[in-house]
Amino acid sequence: MSTGDDPIEQLIPAALRAALARRELLVRRPVAGIRHGQHRSLRPGLGRDFRDYRAYVPGDDPRRLDWRAAARSQRLVVRQTESEEELALVLAIDGSGAMAYGEGSGQDRWRWAGTLATALASLALRQGDRVGFALGRAGAIEVGSLEPTARRDRLRALGRLFVHERPTGVCPWPSLLGAVAARLRRQSLVVVLSDLLDPGSGSESGSGSDRSADEALLRDLGLLRAGGHDVVVVQLLHPDELEFPWTEPRVLQLEDPRGRRPEIEGPGSVLREGYLARLDEHLRWLAQSCEQVGVLLVRVVTKGDPAGPLLELLARLAGVPVEVETRGVER
Amino acid sequence: MSFSLLSPLLLLGLLGLGLPVLAHLLGRERPQKLRFAALRFVAPHDPVVSQRRSIRDWPLLLIRLLLLLVLVVVLARPVVGSEAEVTVLAEPHDAVVLLDASASMELRADSRGRSDRELARERLETLLEAMPPGSRIGLVISDPQVPQVELGELDQSVATIRARVDDWTRAGERPGGWTLAEALPRALGLLGERQGDRPRIIYAIGDPTGGGLGSLPEVAGEAVTIVPIPTRGRPGQAAPEPPEHVGLRELTWAPAPELDPRALRVSAIAHRFGGGDNQLEVSAALIIGDEEVARTQVTLSANGDAPIEFVHTPVSAADVQPLRARIELVDRPDDPLTIDDRRQLWLIGQDEIDVLIVNGDPSDTRVNDEIFFFATALGSETSAMEIRGLAPDQLEDQLREGDPLADVDVLVLANVRAPGPEQTAKILTRVEQGMGLWISVGDRVSASEYNERFTTLLPLLLREAVYTGTAPGRTEARSEGLAPISLAHPIFTSMTTGEGGDLDLGATATKRMFLLEPDARRGADIALAFTSGAPALITRDRGAGRVALLTTTLDRDWSDLPLRPGFVPLVIRTVQWLADAGGVGTTGSLQIGASKSLARSTPYTVYTPNGEPLPIAPEAAGEPARFTRTDAPGHYRAVPNEGEDDSASAEFFVVEIDPRESDTTAIAVAGAELEGEAGTVTIYAPRWRELALLVLVLLGLESLVRWWLGRTRAPR
Repeated sequence: MSTGDDPIEQLIPAALRAALARRELLVRRPVAGIRHGQHRSLRPGLGRDFRDYRAYVPGDDPRRLDWRAAARSQRLVVRQTESEEELALVLAIDGSGAMAYGEGSGQDRWRWAGTLATALASLALRQGDRVGFALGRAGAIEVGSLEPTARRDRLRALGRLFVHERPTGVCPWPSLLGAVAARLRRQSLVVVLSDLLDPGSGSESGSGSDRSADEALLRDLGLLRAGGHDVVVVQLLHPDELEFPWTEPRVLQLEDPRGRRPEIEGPGSVLREGYLARLDEHLRWLAQSCEQVGVLLVRVVTKGDPAGPLLELLARLAGVPVEVETRGVER
Repeated sequence: MSFSLLSPLLLLGLLGLGLPVLAHLLGRERPQKLRFAALRFVAPHDPVVSQRRSIRDWPLLLIRLLLLLVLVVVLARPVVGSEAEVTVLAEPHDAVVLLDASASMELRADSRGRSDRELARERLETLLEAMPPGSRIGLVISDPQVPQVELGELDQSVATIRARVDDWTRAGERPGGWTLAEALPRALGLLGERQGDRPRIIYAIGDPTGGGLGSLPEVAGEAVTIVPIPTRGRPGQAAPEPPEHVGLRELTWAPAPELDPRALRVSAIAHRFGGGDNQLEVSAALIIGDEEVARTQVTLSANGDAPIEFVHTPVSAADVQPLRARIELVDRPDDPLTIDDRRQLWLIGQDEIDVLIVNGDPSDTRVNDEIFFFATALGSETSAMEIRGLAPDQLEDQLREGDPLADVDVLVLANVRAPGPEQTAKILTRVEQGMGLWISVGDRVSASEYNERFTTLLPLLLREAVYTGTAPGRTEARSEGLAPISLAHPIFTSMTTGEGGDLDLGATATKRMFLLEPDARRGADIALAFTSGAPALITRDRGAGRVALLTTTLDRDWSDLPLRPGFVPLVIRTVQWLADAGGVGTTGSLQIGASKSLARSTPYTVYTPNGEPLPIAPEAAGEPARFTRTDAPGHYRAVPNEGEDDSASAEFFVVEIDPRESDTTAIAVAGAELEGEAGTVTIYAPRWRELALLVLVLLGLESLVRWWLGRTRAPR
């Protein structure tokens, strides 16, 4: 089936679209939106589901009096229902060169990020939520679409970004998250899309054990969480990064896609030694750190059909109890 | 000396020299470029192998390039034209290859330890390849046992010649055979009669010694050119001196009754051929049977002799039986010619020669009598000779009455008028049966009577007695001396020329002699000649016996020969040869390739040195059996199949190599001048073996450098 030129169709193929047809984007906690929506609100409102009774005070809408309850309790009782408000979904997108890994194959990380982002945005817009996104790329941030809106053209803008733009350079995480935090006036769902393998900014060239950049990123995410936002980190990992399949002695020339670390050259079998252990340690640390700051970490491996990881992501967002992923790399 | 390549096209392989550099450029592994996001987890402290972009180990590369270079040159098979050259007539011609098989060809004079025989094989191969098409070629090997290859077209004969030589080589060492001069008539016989103007050439391949190429004339009858091809050196130039070696000769034995009644004195002469100023110490051992019983050491100067003497006393009477004895030089593994390092003989206790002298001119004065000189000369071998004397009339009487010659080994007719016809017939019969007859002339000898009655016995018929003044070519001389002895004659077996080797009869003054009628058909051999060339001692085989004729007197009537020191060995050797027993001292001694006439006309079994029994039979009834397979030096024993089977009827003899073959002194071989266009074929000596050795050295060097570089660059 031809996907045509529509970037949305390219990012969300028909099968995935069909799988998402009856799905909703739900969050585990009540939201505080501006307008009525589909998400349970922090405040009681005009929803359908019963919430509580309270004594009538003048000024209450007489239509909300519960006459049966008033008859039982001999006083005027107002029936409160759950409020349903709209959600602000903000996507913070890592546009560094690392996101381009797997280009040209079905495991293109940038394309997977686009699929997840547009799917989430599509679900949100379909249920009346507002969507905004910001991109960190080539050392700069693009925040033109950060203000959440419920207009459909936001989805197309998001689609165009993933189809027509390619990630490059580094992602200035402090700037990006700072801009996001500054623009969010209400409680929002912040979804960060990144590989989170080397989030350092341009000047650093530390080793794998130097976590200053990682810790700074987690700190910023923690601040967002402390600001009342739901923060979800979707870590997109390529199978090559988890398995390091170059076990032959053939010489590899590894370049940093962000262009800030020096090249490393050597036989694959030699380079593989210690790599998996260090990666595993990093992933464990990341999972524990996210849990500590209340950030939901969802790890997605860019392999196979994106529908599975996407549905799992939706379930995690909705609060389906899923054991926190702390398992490391399969050896 | 020229350098060339047998396979020059293989030099194209030098293009392969660019291979290591090309392999470096092309074969350098291109790294797989990856933009890898998790680069920070690839530990930077791990040793990172950086792909080489430039040649780092120049010494290693140079060694490997040199290795390739040498390898290519080895494959191209470089050769160097050797000093020796073979001259071949360029036009089609008839050729016979005369290959020297004499014992001296065993000399290993080559720097690589190859013998002259192996070098001769190479020369032969070169010659065969260089023969012009249209030629005919044949082969004669100077070994009587090897059949010749008849003259045939080049295409067919070359393969036959190669096969014949290979077969001969595979048969093992056959030291001895003929000298080249002795084999030359066979080669001439192969060439046959001259046909048109077609050139006829004998290519003689042999060693540059007196018994080898030195024995050949430049032109042999009917314009046959002889082209000498020496195994060492080049024609027209002096050959390089061969390495020194030591040989044995003149092995004899004699009783030593003054020491013990059974004691035997065994002696030989060791000779050092060549050598420097140093004194060479040589050990020699006496071996009886298979047991070494004594050892001695002698010191030899350059080209010097040293006598070796042992005394052996058999411990029991049983040991008096014929014993295998040999003297052998020991502890000389480096001797380049080993076949003359041992000589053997039979020690036979009871073996006397019965000599009967008939004195035709008895004299009252003892010192004027033939029998005096004769008996005195033989007296030095007293215990081995039994000498009796008879007057002519006594002999005739005894011949009429019975058979006085039955036990006589040698009959000497010294200045005897010819016996009567009946007596003569009995003498003839005995000679046919194996008796030796020595006739010496004098005033009482009548040429006509002897020619009439001894026609079938005389080596040559007598002509007349002449004074030396009237001898041919010697019109003014009043006396005549004797020429050097003919060493080729069996009487003088084991003797050598040179100091102490000759009989020293040159100063003999002979006033009168008998001239003889030349007759090539009678098969006479001249053992001794006057300086004019007239025969002095001439011999002939007759049946199983032998006849010798001295053309002057045994006493001082015609010559002062009896006064000469050489007279004694001359008489002893001649009597021993006539008796065919060798007598005391040498036993029966034959040279390799010679034939042995056995005493009886019955089948025999001859046991060779390695114990192999060889049955032989007389060719015709009444003729003695003749043994010809004297291929190897050693002890031989002939046992008649009929009659008593004991050692008394057995005959013992040894086969030796010709002592002249020990003399390997190099001589200059004259180059042949061929009429017409002649091509010179250079013998190429391969040099790739040395280069192959260099390849191995370079391989080792490469490994060493590689190890060293790896060691110096190893992480500390």
